[in-house]
Parts: sequence; C-alpha cells; structure tokens
Amino acid sequence: MCDRHNKDGDCFEYVESGMPRVPMSCKINGEIVHKMVDPTMTLLQFLHKDMSLFGTKEGCGEGECGACTIKMNGRAVNSCLVLAAEAQGSEIITVEGLSKNGELSVLQKEFIKHDALQCGFCTPGMLMSARALLDKNNDPDLEEVKEAIAGNFCRCTGYFPIIDAILATAKKEREGSDHE
Amino acid sequence: MSKQYRHIGQPYDRKDAQEKVTGQAMYVHDMELPGMLHAKCLHSPHAHAEIISIDTSAAEALPGVKAVVTGKDAPYRVGLYMVDKNLIASDRVRYQGEIVAAVAAEDEVTAERAVSLIKVEYKPLPIIHDVDEALEAKILVHENLHTYEYMEGVFFPQKGTNIASWNRTLKGDVKKGFEEADFIIENELSVPAVAHVPMETHVTIAQADPYSKKVKIWSSAQSPFAVRQLLAKSLGIDKSDVHVIVPYIGGGFGGKAGIHLEPFVTVLSRAANGRPVKLKATREEEFNLLPTRAGMRSRFKTGVKKDGTITAMEIYHDWDSGAYADYGVNVGKTAVYSGAGPYIVPNVELHSRTIYTNKVFSTAYRGFGHLETHWAVERHMDYIAQQLNIDPYELRMKNLLRAGATTISGELIYESTGNPIDCLNAVVKEIGWTGRKTDEERALEMKTGKVRGKGFAMLQKAPAMPSYTSTAAIMQMNEDGHVKVMIGAVDMGQGANTIMAQIAAEELGLPIESVEVVWDVDTNKHPYDWNTVASKYTFMGGNAVKKAAKNMIQQMKEVAAQVLRCHPDELAHGDGYIYHVHHTARRIPFKKLAMGYMYENGNGIGGPVIAHGVYMASGLTNPDPQTGQGRPGLVWTFGAHAVDLEVDIYTGEVHVLKIASAFDIGQVINKKLVDGQVLGGVIQGLGSAMIEGYKFSPDAKLLNPSFTDNKIPTAKDLPDEIVPIYIENPQNDGPYGARGIGEHPMISVPSAIGNALYDALGINFYKLPLSPENISLAIKNHKKA
Amino acid sequence: MLSKFNYLKPKSLDEALAYIKENPGTKLLAGGTDLMIVLRRNMEIVDHVLDIKDIPETKRFEYKAGEGLFIGASVTVNEISECDVVAEKYAAVKEAADSLASYQLRNRATLVGNLCNASPGADLASPLLVFDAVVHIAGPNGIREVALENFFTGVKRTVLVPGEIVIGVMLPDVKGDTSVFLKQARIKGHDLGIAGVSIRRTGEGKLCVGMTAVAPTPIRLRNLEESLQSKPFSAETAEWLNEEIKNHIKPISDIRSSAEYRLHVSGVLAQKGLMQLIAMGGK
Repeated sequence: MCDRHNKDGDCFEYVESGMPRVPMSCKINGEIVHKMVDPTMTLLQFLHKDMSLFGTKEGCGEGECGACTIKMNGRAVNSCLVLAAEAQGSEIITVEGLSKNGELSVLQKEFIKHDALQCGFCTPGMLMSARALLDKNNDPDLEEVKEAIAGNFCRCTGYFPIIDAILATAKKEREGSDHE
Repeated sequence: MSKQYRHIGQPYDRKDAQEKVTGQAMYVHDMELPGMLHAKCLHSPHAHAEIISIDTSAAEALPGVKAVVTGKDAPYRVGLYMVDKNLIASDRVRYQGEIVAAVAAEDEVTAERAVSLIKVEYKPLPIIHDVDEALEAKILVHENLHTYEYMEGVFFPQKGTNIASWNRTLKGDVKKGFEEADFIIENELSVPAVAHVPMETHVTIAQADPYSKKVKIWSSAQSPFAVRQLLAKSLGIDKSDVHVIVPYIGGGFGGKAGIHLEPFVTVLSRAANGRPVKLKATREEEFNLLPTRAGMRSRFKTGVKKDGTITAMEIYHDWDSGAYADYGVNVGKTAVYSGAGPYIVPNVELHSRTIYTNKVFSTAYRGFGHLETHWAVERHMDYIAQQLNIDPYELRMKNLLRAGATTISGELIYESTGNPIDCLNAVVKEIGWTGRKTDEERALEMKTGKVRGKGFAMLQKAPAMPSYTSTAAIMQMNEDGHVKVMIGAVDMGQGANTIMAQIAAEELGLPIESVEVVWDVDTNKHPYDWNTVASKYTFMGGNAVKKAAKNMIQQMKEVAAQVLRCHPDELAHGDGYIYHVHHTARRIPFKKLAMGYMYENGNGIGGPVIAHGVYMASGLTNPDPQTGQGRPGLVWTFGAHAVDLEVDIYTGEVHVLKIASAFDIGQVINKKLVDGQVLGGVIQGLGSAMIEGYKFSPDAKLLNPSFTDNKIPTAKDLPDEIVPIYIENPQNDGPYGARGIGEHPMISVPSAIGNALYDALGINFYKLPLSPENISLAIKNHKKA
Repeated sequence: MLSKFNYLKPKSLDEALAYIKENPGTKLLAGGTDLMIVLRRNMEIVDHVLDIKDIPETKRFEYKAGEGLFIGASVTVNEISECDVVAEKYAAVKEAADSLASYQLRNRATLVGNLCNASPGADLASPLLVFDAVVHIAGPNGIREVALENFFTGVKRTVLVPGEIVIGVMLPDVKGDTSVFLKQARIKGHDLGIAGVSIRRTGEGKLCVGMTAVAPTPIRLRNLEESLQSKPFSAETAEWLNEEIKNHIKPISDIRSSAEYRLHVSGVLAQKGLMQLIAMGGK
C-alpha cells in the first residue's frame, strides 16, 4: 500500500497534504520552472523540496527571523509566509542567484572581508535583504541599512560587521557604476 | 614586545566564509537521506502531572506512520551529571513542553497529523514555580532524588529536598571578617531564564542499524565526542558503536553542548526498523522543549572597611534549573571558584544551590553562569561604593585580584595569569570616567527629559571543565605540500578552524592557503576533543596543533637529514622547504617528503607524513567538597566593560552611546575573528540586559515561546559604538601567549548597564531585563517615594 | 500544518464572492502574514484559501482630488509607505506603515489585512481612524460602506459577515492637515506596539485622536477630542493631554506590557505627538 493518502484514502504521488497539486510557473535565479505544487506548501518548502535549493534557511517559519528571506519580484519577502502557489508568474532570486559565472558578487565579497558572518545560518537571508535594499537605493545611510535588515535576526555577529559590509558594497557598486 | 610572526596576529578572512555566502554550506537542517523519515513530538501541556494513560492507536493507524514511541518504549535514563531524566516522560511530566510521545512518518505533515491523534490523560499535580517554593520542599519535583545516579564528590544532591546540588566555598574566618568590617552591606539580585536562540534550531538525524547496536548520528551539535559518550551511556551501548557527524552548525551558544535530541531520535529510528529519522525542532520547541539558561537569585552580604577593603562575604547563589539538572549543576559549581568576582576576598562563605522547579530545564549558555553571578556581584560592588560614598573605580582598584593574591578557591594569581586592573583602566579611560554625577547635575539633566549615565563592570572566567580534559590534532601532508588538519572541536562560527590553520601555518612556515582544517567533524575519523565549549579551544587546541606541526616538521627533518647527510638538528624549515641552517641551498621541498622521499634511482625512504599532537590540562583538581578549595581554572581571562548611555526618562528607553570592552587575552591571533566574538558577545549580553527573559503563567506555562514575544536584539537595537580593546599580557603556557575569549564579551554587559543606569537616574536596579517598561515604572515610583 | 486546503486565485470579484458563498469558512489570503501563522500553528483548520490579489478592485490604489485616497485590499504596507500622496496628505499613515513589523513583512502585509485581523494593537488602525477611513465591503448584495470606527466589534472581531470581502478603504480627501503617529514597543526593531497614538490636526484646527493596544479594539477618542476643542494649541495643552488621555482608555496587562506602563506611556506619546504637531506649525 502506498504511504501517501488523503483523508478519503485516495492516493496522490508525493503530495503531503493529500490535496490535488496546482500548476505553478515562475522564474528562479533566471531559470524558468514549471511545477505542480501542493497548495498547502510554502515557497520555502518548495525551494527545498522541489528545487533542491537549500541555501535559503528556515529559522522560525513565522516571518519573525528573516532567515528565509528571498527576493520576489524585486522585493525582499519571507519565503516561509508565501504559499508556493502564490509564486505563479513571479521572478525569484535566492542566495544561489547572487553570483554569476563562478565570480562572487561585490556584496558577497564584502561580507567575507568584513567578517559579516559567523555560523552562517542567517547569512543567505541577510544577503537577500541587503541586495533588495541596494537594488532600490544605491546610497543608503546607516539608518536605512539598519531598517532593511531589522527583520533578519543574527545571534552571532552583533550586526556591526554586516552593516559595514552593506555600506561598503554600496560604495563599491556606486564607484563601479560611475566608471561605466 | 617582539612579534615577528608571519600568521599569528593576521586578520585573515574566515576559511568557511565563501561557502556560507553562496548558500553552499550544508547544515543538518538541509540534509536529506534516502529513506529518511520525519519526526514530530507531542508535548506535555502541564507543568507537573501524572500520566494516567496514552492512546496511540489512531496515530499508528494513519497511513505513512512508521513508528510511534512513548515512555514505555524508551526505558532509558539520561543526565550529564545527575541521571534524573527519562528519555521520554513515562509516569510523570515535570515541565510544560516535555516530550510524552513522538512519531516518525514518511513526511512532516503526516507526522504532525499523527501526533494530533495521540490521546493522553493527565492528573495535574501541584507545581513548584520558583526557588523559594522549591526550598520549602513541601512538594518535590523529584521524589526519588536520593536514588539517582550522579557524579559523586563533585555534586551534592540533598535528600528529601529540591536541591540537585549544594556546592560550597569556605575560606578564612567569615565571622572574624565581618567583625573587622566597618560596614555590612547586603543586596538581593536576580535574572530570569533566557534562551540561546541559535538561528538553526536543534536538529538530528539518527540511523540505528537494525542488525547491530551501531548508531549513526548527524546532528547540529557542539560536541560530537560528548554526544558519542553520552548517547552510549544513555542507551547502554558501546561508545564505539556510536558514530557522530557534525557538519556546519547554525549557532550553539552552549545550547548544543552536551546531548539533546540524539538518543531520542535513535529510539525512533530503531522503532522504524533502522530507517534514518530526522527531528528538526520547531522554534517553539527551541524555546520550550530544549533547555535554556537558568534563572538565578543571589543574596550578597559583604563586610567592608571605611576605605573600601573587603573583609568578608557571605553569598547565596540559587539557580532555578527547572525540571532537570543537565548542565545546571555544573553551572552552579562554577560559582564556587568564580562567584564572588575577580576580587581578593580573604574570608568567604559561598553557597551555590542548583534547584529543581517545574519549568523548562536549564543547560550551558555562553558564559556558563558568569553573566548571572557577575550581574549580582558587579551591581553589588557598585552598591557598596554608593554606601561608602567612594568612587566605584577606587573600590574596585582596592580589591581587584593581582599577582600574588589568591582567588576564593585558593588559586594563586601569577603575572602570567592576566591582569583585570589593566582592563578596568582601559575601559574607564575610553568612556572618560571622571566619577559619578552629583544629584544637582542629575536634577538639571532630568529637566531635558534625557539623562546620561556612565558605568562599568568587571568580568572573569576560566573554562568549566573536568580536571582531566584533553584534546588532539592530526595533521597530514598531501603530495602537493598542502596540509590537512583534523581536530575534534566544531567550528560553529567562532572561527576555531581559521585560528588553528593560522597556528599550523605559523609553525610549518607555509602560506595560510596551504593549510586547511577539515570540516564535518566525524568521530570515526577525527581525533578526540572533549567538548566545544568553555572558551578553551584556542588555548588547548592551539597547543595541540602547535605540537602536531612541530612533530610534522621533525618527521620531515629526520628523512631530509638522511638525504642531505646531516643531523636533523642542523636543519631548519621555511617556505615549504627543509634546508640546512648554513648551506641553505641544500634543501628539499615538503612535497618531495610528503609521501616519503624518492631518490633518483627509485629508492624510497620515509613514508606519508602524518603527525599528531595532544594537549591535556595539567595540575587541575576538583574543588574540595567541604571548602571548594582547589585549582579548577586552566586559564583565566579577565575583562571589563564600560558603558555610556542615555535614558529617556518618560518612555524608559535606553540609548547606549558606547560600550568599551577590554579583555586580557594574552595574544590576538586574528583580530577580525576576535572582534567578531566581542561585537557578537556584547550584543548578546545587551539582549540579556535589556530585552530577553522567559515569562511564565501562574500554572508555570511558558507565555512567550516564540519570537513574537521572546525578542532578541535587532540591527535597530544596537549601541552607537562598541570599542573592543585587547590587553596582551601573555599566558606563558598559552599558544603564543593566547587565552580564550569566546564567552567573555557577554559577561557583565548587564551589570555595566545597570551601573550606568544608577549613574544616570540614582536608581538601583536589581532585576533583569532593564526594559523600557521596568525603567520607566521605576522612575515613576522613585519620584513618588 | 494540519489544514488541507484548496487554493484558488480568482480574477474577478464575482467569481470570488460565488466561491466563498459555496464554500463557507473560506479564508481570504492577501499578504498572508497573519493567515500563514494561523495555519502553521493550527489555530484554525482551513479547507479553502482564496487569494484575492488578482481581483482588480483590490489592486486599486488611487487618489482623486476632492474624493480622497482609495487603498485596495491587495495594496501592501510598503507600497503605501512609498506613495507620495500618503506622505504628503496622510503623514500618520506613512509613519504607522513604516513602524509595522519588518521591511520584508511590509512587502507582503496589506493595510486592509492589518484592519481585518482586528487585533487591538493593529498599528495602521489609529491613523486611519483619525482620517475617518471608510471600509468598502463587497457581499452578495453589492458594496456596503462602513466607517472604520464602527468596523471593529471586539478583540479579533469585526462587522464582517460570512460571504463578504473587504475590497479596500477610502480615506476622505484632506486639506492643510498635519498628523503624527507614535508607537511604543519593547524593542526598536520589529515588534508589536504596546501602545500607539495618532493625532491629526485638520486644516480647520480640529484635533482627532486615535489609539491602539489600550482597549479591546483600536479606538477613536471622541470625548477627548471634544475637550481638546476648547483648549489652546499649546505646550500646556500637551502636558494636560498627557494626564487627561488616561481617563479615556482602559489598557490591560498582558505578556507585552503591564496596564500601568501602557497607561503611562500613552500619556507620554500623546504629549510628544501634540508637541510635534505644534512644532510643525499652524497656530
């Protein structure tokens, strides 16, 4: 007998809730994906289970800690509070999408240089909040940086190196674009 | 100071950084194994109750469920020092949140659904809420305490009481000391229980071989070898049957020391015919199932002379350890040698009692009791200065430990032990301390609605560990001359692997890029380390790695000496070569020695270069059972914080302008990483000081088991500035003179803030947290009084 | 999550209304920042989730001079915060929007969701109350409009009946207004308010006061406003307000704050708020 059943005893392959899956198409880190998703599944669970993208972390599952932050349609969101089905038609960037062609992005390099991480568990979400901020505002002040990451808990670093890394990235990216 | 090091003192980037910024770093949270089942737990809704019956039939009948276990399926007793806990509650639950049953199923949702179908009948029992009720002993949390197995001679459970251990210090003649005093000053202070909050919750995958007793564990744990030992002990199997692997872990802070989910998940795997089972604690379980930092209440009575000289102290530290003792009794034990602060106290009587109540139980937490004891002692010192009307700086200078003095447990302080006075001087200078403000100055400032205040506090800590603690390192050279180092400690972000690479590179004379400490500590492959705790690894591991590197060089010299036809003593090393000290052109590259040297004619000598080094704590003793006297401290790190803050006297909000933090760490090995420990630790201390704390209902249920109401500091809750200061009085037996610093930055942040609040407001605070509400209402009531 | 639900995202209001009529107990999903937690904690078992974000009426976010500002039920808190008209005309709304939760949550959370959740501490409720917001509710019999002041009926309770969907709120147009929002929380980052105050001064000089987290619902303090009518717009009045406001609220003690501190800090915030309005000018 199959292990996957809904309450009526019907069998659905790979469906945890037993509800019929719904189609969902979106773009993840530049790649178009078409999937059938469990309607009760969160976007975070979808990234893990269907996309094998484990960079995005779960710290609380309730939108409080920000470890699951991704960029969805250009905005930072908590992927634990979004249903996978809601991602229909959206463009998603996760930590795996930050670097291109094997070259770390300026933001990632500055995180390393400033030691803006210790255990690393908040880092993917922190990077995505920072990226979303810098995409909208290439010259944030200290308060704006703090505001952008206040929804991302870090228990290791005391935040100072993270803030420094984000400000340094902004400066580097501005200088970079000035040269262009 | 002559420091001609190549790698020691270099602020290198951490070795793990790239994997962590790209999302490649793998944690147990991320791991999936073929055939893996998912577990969910059923928790007690009562703080204290008898379990009358459990009906798991509906859960077992649910398709997809592979195992359901209750207390009767797990007849195992666990406990680090006091064997006081059933692996799964069987007859009785002792705190709300305790596990009474669990399910392993094909997926998390099915497991959760099955748990919801388990029916338990309870008979609620009267509850012990706090240490005072517990000390009355009218109700016993553990009626059979006197029958429990425990570590004898080190801990002292009291029959017919709720006291898991009563540890004592007796030094000098306290009665005489109080007689010599001009003043006797008393205070009572307390701290609530606080959560560790690692961003990765506890998670374990266990796979129990159905054909043998072998168990394989992947766990987010600080101490793979402690898990191995304690799992074997709890389940009654051989240590060698237990195989523990720890990949990257998302924070520990003491909460992942010892053993937690591992034996429990092993029982589930066994019940599921050996399929791997993963149990990932929810955030609520992290707060409410897994242990916390104990709450504590301290009572101080100190005799002082007019000039501030301390003559005697009588101290009670009463720890609210919750339902079980876990690390709690050992936390309590640290007070025996450190619970009066870094002061010369000629006559002292100290009682440290670890007490059972019906609340979530306690364990190790960064600082291991010292944030709590130093909240009390450092506020008390400030209070004494107020009463004597002397500068709190002068009071401390008069009494601080110094070379030639002895600690309360009779340890002699040497020049090489480090110097708390240097730390205090550095921080008071940094914040510009010129003495307390006068009442007039304060009254003037009050009119603006904002009042500034300055304060400071001392701290100290030595590793709390068995007297015979040891560690080891294995070092192998590859064909390309690169070196892989294996250690048994876990780098959970504190930077141990980068520090060890620096030490190895220093000794081997190699570029830092050529040395790598191997991640994913595996008890079947990596050498032993007792526990990744206690700020001990730079000191102990550093010494072991240094020895391994020297051993590796010696091995290469011995082979090279044959090739170069000289005595090994005539050889030196550098830049990847073994060379003759005079004829430097006579040299052999490491890589030609790595797997054994081959002559041109094909002859080979030597063999693969594999070195090892060990370090074992020497000269330590257990405290004397009656007097607490002995030598428990392998290496002390002293420090001090000074704070400059501003209080909004209407809302009670505190704006911290600056925290200056000085530590005598002997030698900075990597400033970038040490800064990380200081900045992170100070902010974690700030959380304890101003924000965090468990709250319980009248029926002892945790009221704030989520981030909604159990907050930690965010980026918007920071001081304007933290100034780390490193004092480098070298420790003669430390690697390059270095001491540990992992836990210290957190200690005494609350007391420094409490002392600065007194300076600002003229109000003494005795309880944490120093929240806007508590400060504002204190100001309001102070005005009335 | 024990709920097993169908997910539907209708393209029209009619389709949505028909679905919720057929499937009583359907939960509406906009930002999901409250609903997802209800589901995760199994506080309710839900069979149907209806995503309203494709319904055109809920996406409307439009200002018409003389009419006012319509904020549809799908408009996120950050969209409101970033809107120039809101900053210019309804400053307290922007300040409340900026104070809500965290930046990521504000990218999902909606203003209407904050209202419909009907928490006594709904941060966005007090500024909307002082701007006389009107809730637009679609049901089987068309659209009905309810003043926000009459919308809340108790803790987590509103006038909404099964089969209804809030499509948005209307803020009447204003001229020459100034307004402030102040909130006290336990920490400076991401936290729920333990007291929130909005004060609006109309172009004509009338003061409107709304509060959250000091009563079973967000409240408009009409009696207090009446007393303020006869007072000068001055620092003395602000000081008077600090004490007087305590006679108009009945905060409770809970896990987040004692009633005593709520009462105290409500006065502090009100005084500070009025002082800020005075500093903005307008005698």
